[in-house]
Amino acid sequence: MIVCLAVVGHENNPLYIQSFTESDDALKLHHIVHCSLDVIDERVNNPKKSSPAINEAFLGLLYPTENYKVYGYLTNTKVKFILVTTDLDIRDADVRNFFRKFHAAYVDAVSNPFHIPGKKITSRTFGERVSSIVKPFGLNSAS
Amino acid sequence: MEEYPEELRTPPVALTCLVGCPEVHPLITAYLHSQQPPINAIALPDFSNIPVIPPKKSPTDTPSAPLAGIIKRDWLSKHRTRIPAVLAAIFTSCDLSADPAHWLQLCSHLDNLKASIRGRNIKLVLLLVTNWDNKDDTSEERILALRKRAEVDLKNLIIFVPDHEEELQKSLNRQVPIEVFGLTSIIFLKVWTVFGELAATYYRDEGRRVRSRLEKKNYTSIELYIRYCFKVAIYAEFRRDWLEALKFYEDAYHGLREMVGTSTRMPPIQRLVEIKAVAEQLHFKMSTLLLHGGKVLEAIMWFRQHTANYRKLVGSPEVIFLHWEWLSRQYMVFAQLLETSSPNDALYVPSTASVPEEKPTEWEFYPAYYYQLAATYMKEKNTCLEFALSMSVDVGPIDGSAESVVASAYLGQYSRLLEHEDTFIMQPLTDEEYAHYALAEGKRFQDSFEIIALLKKSFEAYSSSKAERAAAYCGLQMAREYFCLNDFSNAKQMFDSVANLYRREGWLLSLWEVLGYLRECSKGMSSAKDFIEYSLEMASLPEATGSVESFANGCGPAGPATHSEREKIHKEAFEVSRGELTLNSDEQNSAFKVNTDNPLYLEIDLISPLRATLIPLVAFHHPTVKPGAPSLITISLRSQLPINVEIDQLEVQFNQSECNFIISNGQKPQTGLNSNIQPGHRVETAPDLVLATNKWLRLTYEIKSDLSGKLECIYVIARIGPNFTICCRAESPASMNDSPLWKFENLLETIPIKDPGLALSGQKAIQVEEPDPQVDLILGSSGPALVGESFILPVTVSSKGHAVHSGELKINLVDTRGGGLLSPREEPFSSDNLHVELVDMSCDTPGDQSEAPSDNIQKIQPSFGLISVPSLGVGESWSCKLKIKWNRPKPIMLYVSLGYSPQSDEPSLQKVHVHKSLQIEGKTAVAINHWYMLPFRQDPLLLSKLKSVSETDQAPSLALNEKTMFIISVKNCSEVPLKLLSMSIETEEKSSACTIQPQQEEFREAVVNMPGEEFKKVFTIFPKVNSSKLKIGTVSLRWERGEQPHSNTNASQVTKHRLPDVSVELPLLVVSSECPPHAFLGSPFLYSVKILNQTEMLQEIKCSISDSQSFVLSGPHSDTMLVLPRSAQVLAYMLVPLGLGSLQLPRVSVTSVRYSAGLQPSTGSSLVFVYPAKPHIDLKPGDA
Repeated sequence: MIVCLAVVGHENNPLYIQSFTESDDALKLHHIVHCSLDVIDERVNNPKKSSPAINEAFLGLLYPTENYKVYGYLTNTKVKFILVTTDLDIRDADVRNFFRKFHAAYVDAVSNPFHIPGKKITSRTFGERVSSIVKPFGLNSAS
Repeated sequence: MEEYPEELRTPPVALTCLVGCPEVHPLITAYLHSQQPPINAIALPDFSNIPVIPPKKSPTDTPSAPLAGIIKRDWLSKHRTRIPAVLAAIFTSCDLSADPAHWLQLCSHLDNLKASIRGRNIKLVLLLVTNWDNKDDTSEERILALRKRAEVDLKNLIIFVPDHEEELQKSLNRQVPIEVFGLTSIIFLKVWTVFGELAATYYRDEGRRVRSRLEKKNYTSIELYIRYCFKVAIYAEFRRDWLEALKFYEDAYHGLREMVGTSTRMPPIQRLVEIKAVAEQLHFKMSTLLLHGGKVLEAIMWFRQHTANYRKLVGSPEVIFLHWEWLSRQYMVFAQLLETSSPNDALYVPSTASVPEEKPTEWEFYPAYYYQLAATYMKEKNTCLEFALSMSVDVGPIDGSAESVVASAYLGQYSRLLEHEDTFIMQPLTDEEYAHYALAEGKRFQDSFEIIALLKKSFEAYSSSKAERAAAYCGLQMAREYFCLNDFSNAKQMFDSVANLYRREGWLLSLWEVLGYLRECSKGMSSAKDFIEYSLEMASLPEATGSVESFANGCGPAGPATHSEREKIHKEAFEVSRGELTLNSDEQNSAFKVNTDNPLYLEIDLISPLRATLIPLVAFHHPTVKPGAPSLITISLRSQLPINVEIDQLEVQFNQSECNFIISNGQKPQTGLNSNIQPGHRVETAPDLVLATNKWLRLTYEIKSDLSGKLECIYVIARIGPNFTICCRAESPASMNDSPLWKFENLLETIPIKDPGLALSGQKAIQVEEPDPQVDLILGSSGPALVGESFILPVTVSSKGHAVHSGELKINLVDTRGGGLLSPREEPFSSDNLHVELVDMSCDTPGDQSEAPSDNIQKIQPSFGLISVPSLGVGESWSCKLKIKWNRPKPIMLYVSLGYSPQSDEPSLQKVHVHKSLQIEGKTAVAINHWYMLPFRQDPLLLSKLKSVSETDQAPSLALNEKTMFIISVKNCSEVPLKLLSMSIETEEKSSACTIQPQQEEFREAVVNMPGEEFKKVFTIFPKVNSSKLKIGTVSLRWERGEQPHSNTNASQVTKHRLPDVSVELPLLVVSSECPPHAFLGSPFLYSVKILNQTEMLQEIKCSISDSQSFVLSGPHSDTMLVLPRSAQVLAYMLVPLGLGSLQLPRVSVTSVRYSAGLQPSTGSSLVFVYPAKPHIDLKPGDA
């Protein structure tokens, strides 16, 4: 299950952060997302050590915590997507696929003429679309 | 890692034992220990000490009784410190050679020795210490007997000579690479080799013995299997066979895994504790081996598997804290291992082992990651322990049984020690008792300090690897822990640094939490200022987006980040600021109250996080203002606080303190605030001063300044209540930028000032101009300057309305094209390089001559001048003259600025400046040219001319002893008429070389040369010396401006033009033609061509004449003739003109055969004018 999803801007500021848990650990998820920015920084600055495809937007598993896995994605405009999930045995391909859908949703959201680039994304439509992408994610990987 | 026993942490070292002859022990032990691999030795001085070695237990009791545990606690230490692999009995040669009684004793010692090691496979070595002197004394039989008795091989009997030089020397010659403690000997090496071999054999045999049991499946339970594997691995480690050791540790570990679900030997809690303890030890061994082998990747994978295996095995809920403690220890130890091993080995070792499908991520290579998790689990343990403690009330020293619980003989087991009739009996514990014990033990430790220590390590490691966010998270956890310990100052320091990061990156919720803690910290430290600052910052944070309800908990002491909470915090802060609420945290801290004695003063600068709370923008409506003229200023204030704030008084402060003013709130009585109003200061009253959330409060006032210069608003000070002051640094709307927290918010954009232009470009400073100068500065221009002359430029200062006091005139010459000024900077005073220079400044001081010399500061540099202007009354004027000299043509810009003060009393302040500039063109006045001409109808044949047709640079050739004319032309390039005064040619060589006519000519009446006109003058030159390079001289032209603007100076200039060198040579042949200048129709005339041969040779000349329609001619049409040396030949033609007007004579061409040079006279020189008839005027023939 995806527990948290974040869009992080150029100054490492959160543009959209949404947790999907019932429990009260939203803040902890914030911290996890925030810390994973360090890994993204390192991976982007030292590209040799990580995946061979430099142009790949999908950054892969950022770091495992005991209960979560954190995945990253970097768009061409250097906006970062971070995904925190509780599925510990998840396939990269699923995550990749998810990010692709999410990226499309993000692009649509920021293409809104009423959206000011660089500001937080507050669109309710975006939120709904994200939930609709997030919900089937856990089901797919479980099956 | 320190909690593990020494024998576990270090790799095992083979153990030997030395018995007897204690004097050689130190030497041998030290040597053995220093070798690679080292060998440890127990030194027993006497044979009576032998029972130190524990005897072998009889193997009968093992199979029947059920196994009490997996691994004996002291087994490893026993083998490392007490059971040697090799036992060395040391005898002296005296012992051997002595009397039979001695020998008997020796034999009994040996027997004892053998008895004690019987059962164990310990190897025996004999060492015979002998002196060199009585080396041969020792009888061979005795040695043989001894060896027989001891049942040792020959090679295991070593004769030891500790102090012999020769032996020593021998060993050195053999170049044995040992050098130890001053005593070098081959014997030592032999001792070490023998010991090493025997020890290896011993450990191999022991290992093999145990392994055979494994291979034969000769074990009754899984515990034994694990124990055997462990033992084999340890023996392998003794042999330094790391691979085998690793394999058996792994086997043991896997065996242990199987045991988890199946074993029923002990009560469940203790069973799990034991299994985990053993697993921990096995895993520790494996990690150490892997990491020291450089296999970091495998070690990490193993660790991952290890923690994954055991994380779920939390065990029974009442002692769940033991699990977390155990897990935390796993992480910490692994972190320590990783930390200590990483410097030796490269971190990213390419591993041959199968890389698992999921590679470790970057952070799993950092010890910091493990430290952090260790701290997390430790925290978990702490929570669980506290919970467990709170659940079981009766824990404590009431039940004395806890004290008698000790660690039992097996690893990971505990039992009760009972004293029973002078003997101690170990009694197994029930799980309840054990839980009790564990709780009591857990209570004894302060976990917080350990958590902080772990986090600090993690924090430092993350910081050093530039992972500032992870470090900040560790810092946050650390600070929370400090907070729990009520260590507010440490907590606050950590929280502050963390808050900075969150502020910078705009992580609202995290910041909210941290600020909440900080608020509590400042409460705890009784700091009202901090409390208010943090409260105001929190209250003015942006709304957290997303499902706010889900943040209801877990935000620390601040509570959920909701609007209502912000309002609550806001109210609380203002209550404290008004002194209505006393800030007190607990009893020991003195309560802090804001009152008249303790006023509150906050300062908000450009980087303060409180800018969102109150930001003042100040904008002048105009960029500049005249002194004394009013200008509008708008002060805009905005606050993001959730509730409206009413300000009692605003004070605006400028850099010119006379301009400061106060705005008071018309709605409020100004009681208690009037003390701030200084007498004489301006006080304005605004209808109300209420700040609503995210709305600009705009106040516009007029302001006047009499002082010229910059008028800048510095502070806007808001007073709320009698004891609360907020001092904000004023900001310009143009340079305002929102803090990162607000920058990304989707907020209604409001402009601080109604005028949108001003909102974008308004400045908090205004330039107050100088008063208008009422003095004229006149630069008298007289057109372009000419190169060479001293150009005189009058500058006039004339006062119209101001008196001039302490005036200063600055003059600057600047190249109009920019770039390089007038001269290269390096040598500004060498006049050769200067194109234009300021030569002189002369002033006439009409009024007071006496004052002039002292006051007149005069400073001249080639491009800069400074001159002081005397005091002038209104209406007076003063002038000076600048003399500027152009050395090259160049346009320049002349800047003249006058600075003066209109009042004589305060010269330093308020200078008025007048600037004038003038572009002056510097031009070349005249251009001088020259060319040579031969006499009319005469052509000398010059060989150099023939040869060098192609060479254009060739100096012109002149014929020797022939008169050549040359013409000097002077062209006026300037725009003014010039008067040419004289022209002369100064010859450089001695006058005999050539004569020039005329040498010098003073024009009787100055020749006026208008712009663009050319003036020509003819000279003749008569070279008298044959020279290839004859210097002719320089033409000097003296001229002056046609209209002298300042006639009082005799400003005639000289322009020089150097004539180029010429080559002079003797002409070989000179051809000159002669004919009358005019002819008459029908009447014949003579046309003759004279060829002069100046050589010593006979010259063959071909000549021909072309026919012409205009003439009838007689004479040789085409001929070849010989001209004798140094003589002339004349070709004479008689011509009768047939046409009228200017007619071309028939062309005569003369060719010298010897030089193959022909002469074609130019068309200009072969013209003749034919009249129809003879005019009546009397013409003199041959007038040409």
